Amino acid sequence: MKLKMHVSALALAASTLALGAQANAWTLEEAAKPYAGTELEVLFLDRPGYNAAIQMLPEFEAATGIKVNYTVVPYENALGEQVRDFAAGGDLDIALIDLVWIGNFAENGWIVPSETFINNAELADPALAMDDFFPLVLNAFGSWNGVNYGLPFDNYSGLLFYNRCMLEAAGFDKPPATWQEVMDVYGPALTKDGKYAYALQSKRNETQSADSFARFLWPFGGSFLNAEFKSNLLSPESQAGLQFRQDLMKFMPEGIVAYDHAETVNAFAQGDVAMITEWSAFYSTVVNPETSAVADCVEIAPEPTGPAGRKPALGGFSLAVASQADEAEQAAGWLFIQWVTSAANAGRYLEMGGVPARKSAYADPALAEKFKFIPALVESWQDGVPEFRPRFAEWPAITEIVQEWGTKMMLGEVSIEEGSKMIGEKMEAVLAEAGYYDGKKPLAQ
Amino acid sequence: MIAHVRRKTIFAFLGPAVAALLLVGIAPLLYAVWKSLHDFNLTKQAQTKFVGLENYWTVLTDPTFWQAMGRTATLFLISVPIQLALGLLIAIVLHRPGLTLFKTLTRLSLVLPMATTYAVVGLLAQVMLNQKYGVVNQMLGWIGIDPINFIGDPTNAFIAVIIWDIWQWTPFVALVLLAGLSTVPPEIEEAAQLETKSQWLVFRFVQLPFLIPSLVAVLILRTADTLKLFDMPFTMTRGGPGSATEFIAVLIERVGNRQFDIGLASAQAIIMLAITIFLARLYIRFFYREVN
Repeated sequence: MKLKMHVSALALAASTLALGAQANAWTLEEAAKPYAGTELEVLFLDRPGYNAAIQMLPEFEAATGIKVNYTVVPYENALGEQVRDFAAGGDLDIALIDLVWIGNFAENGWIVPSETFINNAELADPALAMDDFFPLVLNAFGSWNGVNYGLPFDNYSGLLFYNRCMLEAAGFDKPPATWQEVMDVYGPALTKDGKYAYALQSKRNETQSADSFARFLWPFGGSFLNAEFKSNLLSPESQAGLQFRQDLMKFMPEGIVAYDHAETVNAFAQGDVAMITEWSAFYSTVVNPETSAVADCVEIAPEPTGPAGRKPALGGFSLAVASQADEAEQAAGWLFIQWVTSAANAGRYLEMGGVPARKSAYADPALAEKFKFIPALVESWQDGVPEFRPRFAEWPAITEIVQEWGTKMMLGEVSIEEGSKMIGEKMEAVLAEAGYYDGKKPLAQ
Repeated sequence: MIAHVRRKTIFAFLGPAVAALLLVGIAPLLYAVWKSLHDFNLTKQAQTKFVGLENYWTVLTDPTFWQAMGRTATLFLISVPIQLALGLLIAIVLHRPGLTLFKTLTRLSLVLPMATTYAVVGLLAQVMLNQKYGVVNQMLGWIGIDPINFIGDPTNAFIAVIIWDIWQWTPFVALVLLAGLSTVPPEIEEAAQLETKSQWLVFRFVQLPFLIPSLVAVLILRTADTLKLFDMPFTMTRGGPGSATEFIAVLIERVGNRQFDIGLASAQAIIMLAITIFLARLYIRFFYREVN
């Protein structure tokens, strides 16, 4: 019995050592050796997370001999550039995927499931730790129909940025907890002397759909689609949310339908607006004294809750290996994606302006002191909706409809009900043509 | 005596130009016609199928297309006459004798708006017309006018696009008409001025006949330019707010590049081309006269 125990203990120790040795044996340098000299093509955006990655690139290139060629494009061009490249069998080796593009890219077979590389011991970093990613983010940004394709890279959640000094001057010692408080209490008190309580970026582009329209559907219990994939925009909950947005406009600057992110963040940074709901990625802009006149007054909180809960805006990008890349490029691409999103690099990425989706990166309380958005961000990622905007292939067509009629609603050119009806009819026509109603496509969003 | 030019020489000179035209003009056009007959979406290539004239029917019965056409026509009917009037005025002033240095400087400065990239013009407008921080509203404030919501109000945004279009293209009209005025034989002009003191009569019966070819050219070019006006409104308003500045080219770009429905966008573009050709033929038929 004693001998058996000894043998078992030895076996356990040996297997632990073997596993440890295997884990120790894997290095990025060794894994990349066969792919030295490989060049990768990828699109980046001009945002803090990408600038952080660009600063980190020389280290990756020196360690692996793999060259990463990035092209910086505006967000509005990123989808078109990639669709054309993939449709034509172009040069891109890595796909940059906004969460609403994942269904499109996956259904077209333009991206490779992560499993292909995770199951390859020569390429998979033993420290990859997929369970270290926030589950909501990994699911929403990088997965489609239960299959993971991309690792979360540039990650956002909608947050409430508020000007503590303006709130204190108006007699508030904390930010609003609910949207109703914004409407009834904070809005009237903070809208005066040419200043406004709140600005909601609502320009006619993805900003209108993602940041404005959807933001007031979910917390009020509404949604784009019901369980049968028919429009849910005429439901009492959706109507209540959209009407609330319309009523809240009296506390927003005039011409809010022309405000994109830049105008909204600028209005907040210049002290003209007391509160905005913006992506976490804009944190570095509003706390930098060079770009913000209110840097010392900026505080962050989770978005206010509605009758149905918080349901904050969810957005962000994952990186996935492109199917059109050859074998060496795919392997090199995976090594890069795995490295840039790794837990080991997450802290540095955060320090440089990026927002990692690694749980371990936010465990250090000292970081939460330094980056005020961390507690709110972590809280938001517990209560988000992956289909905040439906992620299927038809979203590019549907978002255009929402953008057009969503801004018409805000301008008062159509009523909330008429606009919702119009979006619903057009949205259902797109979905019908795609085959969702005759069983050709699964009801996945 | 007309010297005989060998066939080979003619082909050698014309061949490259014709080949280039076929390559960059005719081939893409034929490809667009072919695509317009298909249900072809870049994100659903596996489902591509021949649909005949269905895309054309969809376009012609789509109120969004006709609303965009209506906006484009309104823009054209307002901005082009103003450009013609202002351009003609500038051309006549510059055509008068004297003030040589001043006129040279003016001619040079007229080139600047035209030389500015369309997209940059739109971005400039977006910044300059910003209600809170824009320089235009700041200057209006100096004379006691409250800030105007140029970009966020549908009517103001449309007017802003018109003003910007006039700013950019009036100099072009002026320079073309100035070139037209320079074709008037000086002796005829001098003789007319000896006959009458009325500048109007000189313009109407001496200068205007020589300006007709230039005016027709300007009309054709400005019609085509207005129909394909895209970069400036796109960077300035992105077709908004609502649909206030969604001109026909902005709509086609939206369908083709954002919804990736290349078949439908091609049909829209072919219809727009047909309208442009029809209008050009109309101008030539009714306005163009050879100068005798």
